[in-house]
Amino acid sequence: MTATIDAGTRRVTTAKAISEGIAQEMRANPDVFVMGEDVGPYGGIFGSTGGLFEEFGSTRIIDTPISETGFIGAGIGAAVEGMRPVVELMFVDFFGVCFDQIYNHMAKIHYESGGNVKVPMVLMTAVGGGYSDAAQHSQCLWATFAHMPGMKVVAPSNPYDAKGLMISAIRDDNPVVFMFHKGVMGLPWMAKNPRSIGPVPEEEYTVPIGKAAIAHEGSDVTVVSLSISVQHCLDVAEELEGTTSVEVIDLRSVVPLDREAILASVAKTGKLVIVDEDYKSFGLSGEIVATIADQDPSMLKKPVERVCYPDVPVPYARVLEYEALPTRDKIKAAIAKVTA
Amino acid sequence: MVDNDTRVDFYRQMVRIRAYEAALQANYHADKTPQWDIGAGLIPGEMHLAAGQEPVAVGLCANLVKDDAITGPHRPHHLALAKGVDINKMTAEIYGRDTGLCHGKGGHMHLFDPEQHFSCSGIIAEGMPVAVGQALAFSRKGTDNVAVAVAGEGAANQGAFHEALNLAAMWKLPVVFIIEDNDWAISVARDTATPIKDGSLRGTAYGMPSQRVEGNDVEMIYEACKTAVERARAGGGPTLLEIHTVRMWGHFEGDAQAYRGDELNEANERDPIPAYEKRLVSAGLLTEDQAAQIKAEAEAEVQAAIDFATSSPEPKPSDAYLHVFA
Amino acid sequence: MSETITFPEMSNDPDAEGVVATWFANTGETVKAGQVIAEVMVDKVSVDVEAPIAGTITCLVEEEGTAKQGQEIARID
Repeated sequence: MTATIDAGTRRVTTAKAISEGIAQEMRANPDVFVMGEDVGPYGGIFGSTGGLFEEFGSTRIIDTPISETGFIGAGIGAAVEGMRPVVELMFVDFFGVCFDQIYNHMAKIHYESGGNVKVPMVLMTAVGGGYSDAAQHSQCLWATFAHMPGMKVVAPSNPYDAKGLMISAIRDDNPVVFMFHKGVMGLPWMAKNPRSIGPVPEEEYTVPIGKAAIAHEGSDVTVVSLSISVQHCLDVAEELEGTTSVEVIDLRSVVPLDREAILASVAKTGKLVIVDEDYKSFGLSGEIVATIADQDPSMLKKPVERVCYPDVPVPYARVLEYEALPTRDKIKAAIAKVTA
Repeated sequence: MVDNDTRVDFYRQMVRIRAYEAALQANYHADKTPQWDIGAGLIPGEMHLAAGQEPVAVGLCANLVKDDAITGPHRPHHLALAKGVDINKMTAEIYGRDTGLCHGKGGHMHLFDPEQHFSCSGIIAEGMPVAVGQALAFSRKGTDNVAVAVAGEGAANQGAFHEALNLAAMWKLPVVFIIEDNDWAISVARDTATPIKDGSLRGTAYGMPSQRVEGNDVEMIYEACKTAVERARAGGGPTLLEIHTVRMWGHFEGDAQAYRGDELNEANERDPIPAYEKRLVSAGLLTEDQAAQIKAEAEAEVQAAIDFATSSPEPKPSDAYLHVFA
Repeated sequence: MSETITFPEMSNDPDAEGVVATWFANTGETVKAGQVIAEVMVDKVSVDVEAPIAGTITCLVEEEGTAKQGQEIARID
């Protein structure tokens, strides 16, 4: 990543990094509060609010009824009146029951008001699969949110970025959709990649929204990815060291998309692999390809390889789900194909 | 009033469901060790079991026929079994096998049995509008079939619940709305999410007969459902039943339930099955030997279903691409 | 000065086995007093384990390995 972290910095899980970022902003600013289902004593189903209820109590860490339209709308209302709510949508897949509040209100009020009204709100949500939670509990959907103008969308791949992006998101005067993949949270009850635990400074710091990171420098091929897939790409890049020099771009943000970083890397390598756990068609990977095509398609020496979730609902059986997921083997095969 | 044979049958069905949930619980955890990993084992993913809620399923389904429909929640096994969903195919689906109801595509939260008109989904309350639609179809087709939507007390705070009730009442459709109030929406206690003590007021508010049923008693539930189902069949429109039951185990398997405190032990003391057994034994309808026999038969049937599942083939990986479109 | 860190007593059942789910510090690293060095689990309940003193840590149990409550899991020198 682009930041230099002091040696000896303590390591924490991504979940802890997120809750720590929220806690530090809450201590600094009484207008910050958290709403969502099971965010209180439970600490969030995926650990995003661990320890917050114990420190801040029920007036600032609010367990809601199962009323997403109601409480997300309430977050919008509190935000337009100057508060800074952090609202959790338990699983991104639930957006269907409340998307009007999100895309027609949270995202559009600033524009519709000619810039007069701000919605400084964070909508955080758990995304992703790989542990057999099936069609309605395993999706990523960042492209769906990114497609609607007016909301920033971030998706950290590691604990350091998670805390920095959460602090940036809370301080941002715009609505920010903070999407954490369950598989990067470092939870003790789910298989985890060691990259889900990492050094995180104890003090507050920010990671800029809209800036990608070069997670692994290389010169033979550009691999653009985000969220949990970055962890897989790094595993592959390290395995291929000495054979193929792989540059891994961790987008960190989907909106704004760091097109400059993508273009700069592809200009260097001429070869592009995109790894994205969201559905393949009509989404992020296509937008990345369009970024190259719009600017200078001759940059590409080979066709683009898109290692994405196919256009199918997520199946339950493990053998079916892993047939579809963008796994390390598929990433390696794509890199081999494009560098052949 | 329920006749004696039916009462023993109620007991048998509840024991069958409990045997199923207990076997799934044991098997679900058995191969997730030593480090508990939700994605590991023969039954990966989430698991929501209905121990304590058997009286609702049995009392309801005793009033239903094959062509009546049920849309269930993410905690569906008791309803599926009581409705008559094939136990082997259901178990194979939970084990992710090709012989499962959905060829391994759906899993435990997405069990679809069109023959039994049974379906369930993982999005809270979203089965309610669907049940309204099924009722609309039955009414259009001129059958006297009924659609039943089952959801938890948490679902009664979701928009879809309110829209579904309003629509059903406006169009006077043959649908029964069942709220299983087990006091908890994951870790959120009912009292902190719903300001009214009697959720049946909401049905009244939308213009339909409504009742709250206390006691988690299979016979009382049966009677309340009988009235509602008969009303629907006769063209009398929808009913809301809020049935107070008990969630004896976690929201999902792996839920440490620290948030329940002492209430967890108290809840388990309200286990409806031993209580009903005691009543039947006192009434001379059941001997302890017969009860033991019923349990043994249930366990054997459940084990056979698990054996069917574990000996069934997995789907082919390329099947992941099938069934996006018909 | 050296101190051992034992697996916390977390369960009503003293014989219940637990797991060291995650190490946050590796053998040979320097830790501060109070630093969270591990997350352990018994019966689906997880807790953080803190270093009682500053020093160099030696981890005695593998990550995702089992341990009994009260068993030594690390040493700080």
